[in-house]
Amino acid sequence: MADLAHGKPDQRGLSHAAGADSHGVGTRRDFLTIAGNALAVVGAACVAWPLIDSMNPAQDTLAAGAPVDIDISKLQPGQQIVVLWRSRPIFVVNRTPDLLQTLQQPQDLALLSDPNSEVLQQPGYAKNWNRSLQPQYLVLVGICTHLGCIPSFMPQANSVGPGWIGGYFCPCHGSRYDLSGRVYSGVPAPYNLPVPPYRFLNPTTIRIGENPPNEADFSLDSVVQI
Amino acid sequence: MAGTPSTVRTNNKLVRWIDRRLPLFSFAQDAMIDYPEPRNLNYWWNFGSLAGLMLVIMIVTGVFLAMQYTPDSNLAFNSVERVMRDVNYGWLLRYIHMNGASFFFIVVYIHIFRGMYYGSYKEPRELLWMLGVVILLLMMATAFFGYVLPWGQMSFWGATVITNLFSVIPVVGKTVLTWLLGGYAVGGPTLARFFSLHYLLPFVIVGVVGLHLIALRQHGSNNPLGIAVKGPQDELPFHPYYTIKDLFGLGVFLIIYALFVFEMPNVLGDAANYIPANPLQTPPEIVPEWYLLPFYAILRSVPDILFIPSKLAGAICLAGSILILFLLPWLDTSRVRSAYFRPIYKWVFWLIVIDVFALGTVGAHRPEGWYIVIGRIATLYYFFHFLILLPFIGWFERPLPLPESISAAVTRKNGVPVGAAPAEPR
Amino acid sequence: MRRLFPAALGAALLLCAGGAWAQEDAPDAPHQDWSFAGVLGTFDPGSLQRGFQVYNEVCSNCHSMNQLHYRDLAGIGFDTAEIAAIAAQKQVQDGPNDQGQMFMRAGKSSDGFVAPFANAQAAAAANGGAAPPDLSVIVKARGKGLEYLWGMGGPDYVYGVLNGFQDKPPAGFNLPQGKYYNEYFSGHAISMPPPLADGTVQFQDGTKSTLPQEAHDVVTFLTWAAEPKMEDRKRTGAKVIIFLLAMTGVLYGAKRKVWKDVH
Ligand code: HEM
Ligand code: FES
Repeated sequence: MADLAHGKPDQRGLSHAAGADSHGVGTRRDFLTIAGNALAVVGAACVAWPLIDSMNPAQDTLAAGAPVDIDISKLQPGQQIVVLWRSRPIFVVNRTPDLLQTLQQPQDLALLSDPNSEVLQQPGYAKNWNRSLQPQYLVLVGICTHLGCIPSFMPQANSVGPGWIGGYFCPCHGSRYDLSGRVYSGVPAPYNLPVPPYRFLNPTTIRIGENPPNEADFSLDSVVQI
Repeated sequence: MAGTPSTVRTNNKLVRWIDRRLPLFSFAQDAMIDYPEPRNLNYWWNFGSLAGLMLVIMIVTGVFLAMQYTPDSNLAFNSVERVMRDVNYGWLLRYIHMNGASFFFIVVYIHIFRGMYYGSYKEPRELLWMLGVVILLLMMATAFFGYVLPWGQMSFWGATVITNLFSVIPVVGKTVLTWLLGGYAVGGPTLARFFSLHYLLPFVIVGVVGLHLIALRQHGSNNPLGIAVKGPQDELPFHPYYTIKDLFGLGVFLIIYALFVFEMPNVLGDAANYIPANPLQTPPEIVPEWYLLPFYAILRSVPDILFIPSKLAGAICLAGSILILFLLPWLDTSRVRSAYFRPIYKWVFWLIVIDVFALGTVGAHRPEGWYIVIGRIATLYYFFHFLILLPFIGWFERPLPLPESISAAVTRKNGVPVGAAPAEPR
Repeated sequence: MRRLFPAALGAALLLCAGGAWAQEDAPDAPHQDWSFAGVLGTFDPGSLQRGFQVYNEVCSNCHSMNQLHYRDLAGIGFDTAEIAAIAAQKQVQDGPNDQGQMFMRAGKSSDGFVAPFANAQAAAAANGGAAPPDLSVIVKARGKGLEYLWGMGGPDYVYGVLNGFQDKPPAGFNLPQGKYYNEYFSGHAISMPPPLADGTVQFQDGTKSTLPQEAHDVVTFLTWAAEPKMEDRKRTGAKVIIFLLAMTGVLYGAKRKVWKDVH
């Protein structure tokens, strides 16, 4: 079909499409056929786009991704609540000073794969030792960076095994994270748990999905891996 | 195709490697490039490929719509409105699909009338024709099921009226009806099964279209002169002659189609279908989509006949009006195919066209006054045409002399293309 | 003759088959000029916003618009903050909360338009037995299919009804209790009291709020609401059709060339 030129019909009425072009190049028929075919191909490509785009999230789905507000006034120290934002679980943890301490012990940091949160898995304002705006409150997207399961919240020491200092354990393939969502080396999950954009409306209300004023815009779409 | 396999004309090694093992390329070459067609096909022969294209358009847009559609009686109407408002290009998909049904029928009806004018149903193409009638029946069923899906007033009451036809079956009618509906009236279960069937049937159509094409290849296309191809001098290869002609025809067709989709997408539909289905209120008038109007008119036009009540008689005539097409190859007794050479049939053909339009007009109006009279006459004439007129004309008509061959008829003589007005009585 | 005959016949027959669905028990409402009519017609932005004001202040007391969301108002030129403010004036039921209770909160832009009644029964009970219809697609539901091309049908009809009330029915017309006489409503006896009059709303942009003006604006708004993608559709359509014309022209040339050798 790549051969666009055609000879005259011979006695049998069949043209030899390949190799029988006696007109040489640049005849008007060639031009018209090529132009016609080109237009048809462009047209077909334009037709494909609406079909593809119709499978992208619709306006109502996008609107349902609007920010959600979480009341943390009743969140007890050491506890976690889970809310849905954009159909994804968001973990919010009230970390006790004891738990926060586990995040800074050098012997534990040595076991982490990305202790300084170098990989873009969090907004700039959460790229710190506690991966949060206020150390007391941890906010994470609760989706394992391996294959998407929801890691379990295991704050108790030794609850996952001897030497466990508290953190997240993924039931699917055993990935482990510490209590700031940083992944340990040598487990299937490659990256730290993502931190969504969020801000404090007041000391007891967190809004998920909106950056703090005066902070650079961060969108969850930009993280390396959810 | 059996026997000596052709080889694909290319130097591309990969293509040849594949083709030796899986002869896709040589099949395409045989079917779409070298395939010989009569050299005198006119533009009425474009409608076959257009129908194929419409089927593809309907399936593609349908599959994408089905990703957004919810077949639940509480949600269906809203899910269609969501497609129109929130889904990216949803309005485009829906309007292409909605108007596509109409254009599919326009194309297929022209295709059918083309066959009737040029006698394409005659020996040896009877099965080709009958497979076509099967496609028409499947299309009607598909369109009917599809029209129920948006779950507007016309969807609901159209479904009610048509399914109730089954209650005319003696003895088991009511049982059958309840079984079809999955309840005592049209409702959620009906919608769910109609959606399932609406998704299924187009693929059945694809299958029957395949058979239709196999039957077509067996004896090749008929042609405006209706005489057999006598040799290569009567033929042209499909490519480039008919590919370019089909493409040009496609362009013209798409322009008209696009005018409807983009400028007046609701003209062919019924406003009442923008009112959500309400089982407690029948709209003032129930009209099917335009493409079913002639059959709807036949249904309503039949009075009580002897001991058969009007309702049953109407349903029988409705079914008969389509089934009769299966018998057309034998009802037409003329040995000559094309109406070009049939001085009487040529006019009778236009009478049946007018008759079908008259039925369509009657179907669109309340059965009152003149519409009843016209409806009855037109229904009677419809059956008269097929059952009496066609056989008799075939016996009595004296056809004009047929040309020796296609090439003899179409080759320029003294600079006058004879094929442009073949065998006009002089 | 041979070629013209089928075409002429088809055209004639189509003409006689058309025009079948006219309502005969009320006259057609007179045709109005609409900004959205025509092949490239667009909605008049001022009229849209005034029309929303009329719906919001008057019609929405009885009629729902269930297919619309406050976020959709971006399509008639409101910005995010304005939409949030409009939505926040409404009370929306949400829940259940942690105690399992439903509760009321201020509306958000992702909420659907709040309906005046909880369900059709409540709507009917509050309106003398006739539930006011949802207005989301009323213009299309009362249309003849051409409203977005020529502005015929639906928009004219709704405009006609809003302007068509008469204090006294014509002599001899028996108006049932609790009904109002309307020139363009099928059967003339409508359960809706005249909703608009001169000065029913105060337009923020200073336009004089005569009855015809209010009706014109609210119909423009309702026509937009019935098909918010109309402008997209016409714009895309113009491009598609120009493209197809060009493509078909080229294909015609190619076809002529290819077939030149044959006869
Ligand atoms: C022979 C091919 C087909 C015909 C003639 C046909 C016809 C129709 C018709 C008349 C409607 C109602 C349009 C309206 O008034 O809104 C409809 C709706 C629909 N069809 Fe089809 N259809 C075909 C193929 C398909 C296929 C293959 C699918 C799915 C895979 C499909 C999915 C749908 C859906 C989801 C709707 C409801 C959405 C809507 O109303 O726009 N259709 N179809
Ligand atoms: S998904 Fe969490 S470890 Fe595999």
